[in-house]
Amino acid sequence: MAYPFQLGLQDASSPIMEELMNFHDHTLMIVFLISSLVLYLISLMLTTKLIHTSTMDAQEVETIWTILPAIILILIALPSLRILYMMDEINNPVLTVKTMGHQWYWSYEYTDYEDLCFDSYMIPTNELKPGELRLLEVDNRIILPMELPIRMLISSEDVLHSWAIPSLGLKTDAIPGRLNQATISSNRPGVFYGQCSEICGSNHSFMPIVLEMIPLKFFENWSTSMT
Amino acid sequence: MAAAAREGGGASAASVAGRAGAGPGRAGPGGRLAPMAAAPEPHEPEKKPFKLLGILDVENIPCARESVLYGSLGSVVAGLGHFLVTSRIRRSCDVGVGGFILVTLGCWCHCRYNFAKQRIQERIAREGIKNKILYESTHLDPERKIKSNSS
Repeated sequence: MAYPFQLGLQDASSPIMEELMNFHDHTLMIVFLISSLVLYLISLMLTTKLIHTSTMDAQEVETIWTILPAIILILIALPSLRILYMMDEINNPVLTVKTMGHQWYWSYEYTDYEDLCFDSYMIPTNELKPGELRLLEVDNRIILPMELPIRMLISSEDVLHSWAIPSLGLKTDAIPGRLNQATISSNRPGVFYGQCSEICGSNHSFMPIVLEMIPLKFFENWSTSMT
Repeated sequence: MAAAAREGGGASAASVAGRAGAGPGRAGPGGRLAPMAAAPEPHEPEKKPFKLLGILDVENIPCARESVLYGSLGSVVAGLGHFLVTSRIRRSCDVGVGGFILVTLGCWCHCRYNFAKQRIQERIAREGIKNKILYESTHLDPERKIKSNSS
């Protein structure tokens, strides 16, 4: 999860998020180089003799600053498209979970084998136990098996919401009347936090998502105990 | 059903903190969980990473440090070399900056390509080890299939 004053991405817990982090590093390096160049050009402007008062054309520099940005864009676009298609690969999910956004909570439905449905409300600040995280804890976490591809079907019962978990690289809009699909696959067990990412009313900031990834054996015990 | 689920959801199995040091309770003397008035929240790293131009974290991004260092070296070599040949200061600075950008970008792309190949090999090796452990002595054992193909 995030720590206070964090600027960068959270640690990756899924293969897609690892790829996204690598792409982010790559793009950041390109941004750094462009920024260095612009900084240098600005510093050049500070010392100029102002002698070229009748410049008519500058074919060479015009060619350079047309070709070079095109090359830069290709350098950025190719990895970006690769990840975009990688995110839509078919990977035979073992489980399907539906999540519905409401004002202002999430509900989860595991209906593959038995009917298991529950709501997930934020725990108010005055009811938090010591050590729990303000505005992030929920009464019922969504519990899933780790290291397995899981299909999430995301929709909404009322207004637009967005189901997001940064450390897994997930953000999918919950749109009323539409079913969006996302695939979760976590590399490791743990508790992953997210928050609603589409403005949905007065309590938009108070409907977090908490995902608990556990080994399959424990998940089977949990689902048996819940049904 | 929802109320039962809400109560049952509190007793989640094998809850593991996603980030090191974020556990809610720690064992005190004698193995008892020490009551904590306020558990330490995840805090930012004590030592702030050094970021070039405030954006590029050269300490934690793979290949960044090497690329910038090689780029700096290339910049100095190109700028100095151009100056020694032409004695033009301004143009030599331009060549130096151009050299920095080209060498940094070249080293970066080369290093990241090798890094990506290494990651793929690590992933294949990890899958192979996992499959070997899981399927050893079963009909799905990959080594058994290779041996039966060769015999």
